[in-house]
Amino acid sequence: MTNCERIELLRELCLAFGPTGCEHRVASLIKDKLEALGYESYLDRVGNLIVHIPCENAPRVMISAHTDEVGFIISEITESGYLKFRVLGGIDPRVLCGKHVTVETKSGDFVAGVIASKAIHHQTAEERKAVTPIKSMYIDIGANKKEDAESVVELGGCATFDSKFVQFGHENAFIKSKAIDDRLGCAEMIYVLEKIKGQSIPLDLWFCFTVREEIGLSGAQTAAQSIRPDYSIVIESTAVADLPDVPENSRVAKLGEGGAISLRDRSTIYDRGFVRMALALAESKGIPAQLKRYVSGGNDAGHIHKSGSGVRALAISAPSRYIHSPACVVSKNDYLSMGELLYTIITNFNEEEIKNA
Amino acid sequence: MELKELIVSMASLMTVTGYESHDSERLDELIGGFFDESTTDALGNRIFIKRCGRENAPKILVDAHLDEIGMIVTDIKENGFLTVTNVGGVDTRILQASDVVIYGKEKIFGVIGSTPPHLQKPSEAKSLRAIGELLIDTGYPKEELEKIVRIGTPVGFEVKYVDLANGKIAGKGFDDKACAACAAEGIRRAAREDLAGDVYLMLSSREETTAVAGAATGAYAIDPDYAFVFDVNLGTTPDVPKSESVEVGGGVSLTVCPITDRRLTRMTAELAEKRGLKYQISVSGSGTGTNTPSIHLTGAGIPCVDAGLPLKSMHTCAESLDMADAECAAELIAAFITSKEIAEVFKR
Repeated sequence: MTNCERIELLRELCLAFGPTGCEHRVASLIKDKLEALGYESYLDRVGNLIVHIPCENAPRVMISAHTDEVGFIISEITESGYLKFRVLGGIDPRVLCGKHVTVETKSGDFVAGVIASKAIHHQTAEERKAVTPIKSMYIDIGANKKEDAESVVELGGCATFDSKFVQFGHENAFIKSKAIDDRLGCAEMIYVLEKIKGQSIPLDLWFCFTVREEIGLSGAQTAAQSIRPDYSIVIESTAVADLPDVPENSRVAKLGEGGAISLRDRSTIYDRGFVRMALALAESKGIPAQLKRYVSGGNDAGHIHKSGSGVRALAISAPSRYIHSPACVVSKNDYLSMGELLYTIITNFNEEEIKNA
Repeated sequence: MELKELIVSMASLMTVTGYESHDSERLDELIGGFFDESTTDALGNRIFIKRCGRENAPKILVDAHLDEIGMIVTDIKENGFLTVTNVGGVDTRILQASDVVIYGKEKIFGVIGSTPPHLQKPSEAKSLRAIGELLIDTGYPKEELEKIVRIGTPVGFEVKYVDLANGKIAGKGFDDKACAACAAEGIRRAAREDLAGDVYLMLSSREETTAVAGAATGAYAIDPDYAFVFDVNLGTTPDVPKSESVEVGGGVSLTVCPITDRRLTRMTAELAEKRGLKYQISVSGSGTGTNTPSIHLTGAGIPCVDAGLPLKSMHTCAESLDMADAECAAELIAAFITSKEIAEVFKR
């Protein structure tokens, strides 16, 4: 895959519709991509898409990224045809007002909507300064009344941000999109699967595209329980704040300096030997990588590392600004180099080194 | 070009208040052909004239403002982040995670930053950041950015339009360029021989700032006999009283208030009824939030009808309108400028 093809793959994945609990379209898109690469994949009982590359008597390694994205679920259709909603995953109400959304219809198609609320002209002075609570917002799809809306959408239907995928900045070094968290991880896995095609790697490899990360990591939990891996590599994107108004020690990681390797976050302490091996490989192969320098967030490793009799975990995340918004920003170079790092780790895996650290 | 396409094309123009001339050439391409002549005055009003061909004909002013809300760069920070302040009444709640365009030496893309929930302190969660505290992410190193952008560079919202159900559309800049488009289209539809006078379409500047300077000076120069002032009007949503808003899809609103001319308003309503065009009455106890207060006070005074295109989510990137209302508006304007009865009563 050329760099251009990798960007195109990321674009396609990010623009796919897959709020938490409604990931099947993303899974099916990935399934098609994998099939084109000559891989057979299967959906497990909760919707995780899995590719198994077997190797007997070898360490079992589960590599995962989640297919879901933060989004919305319709909780009420009002008399005048507006859609009240709840959020799926952690979304800051401040990024919602006035945003465009894509709403799933009863027939499985999509309609456009906008998140509306009282116009500034009608707001009181206090309201203008306050965060509008989500319960005061509604999605307007243009319906004239309740029956009109009900003929198109239904309670429990999902929605996501409708936001352009844009390459921007100096020499187009950055990418802005919705759902970079974690379609970027999915894209890295597809890239690595292409790269290792036909190679014989002494690992029992399980590539898992997991569901429901954003609300409790449940897809990864059941996947890990059935796969029972020895090692877990989670490919993610992580919230960073490398911004001028944030003190250096709270910036988490820096865009453009490579994938961020976690030591610990709010749900996992990562395996020290695994982290050391990853850092050493990055250094020796000249692949940019950095440490995540703040204890924040969490990912599928939270459940995976605690499954069965315990799993040694590693997480590599693309530093991402404004995560969980319609405008997540990542560095193109970080995206491109992370795939190389994952490939390098898989092809240079050294169990002794990890265990003896 | 269909009316919807004209509305979207005009709304897409960069016309942040004070920078109305930025896309002037494109504006001329879009509507210049509907008129006999056009001028730009000292404050940036664009005036398009369609002549009736008769001597001493009354002058009919149709006003819609050209400017839209936006932002302006106040500082360039490390790693190419920009700070901005608002131009006009930007709704601060819509800013975080919005896509913007920075109109420097070249057009560049930017994103207004937000702090992700993972990294927020609980104390931050309830307050809205003031516009001056937000950062626009450009993805440029500071030195490179300084070659393109400087303090004072205007910033607008990224163009994005979508079709909603039932002929409604949503996007940015409908306030007030949707009205400008309807007005231009209405004037195009009126046959020259039917015109009740010379028609001046004033796409006025600087409405969104408190000065409302464009309409005042533009109307002074034109000195019309009477005027049709056309701006968006606040659409009814579940959280605002019906008495303070107008129904989207309910037709053009006509404002009855102390400063609008009662007779002109009534005659315009009759015209709508005669043509089978939907309209609704909007009431104010004082003035209007449009150019009418400026225009009616111009010179020796100008009788005004204040018409409104119902618009939801005003001053956001998701303003929405009903194309049926827009269609009504274009037809009503065509009827207004060809009404011999109105000209008879209001010509000087």
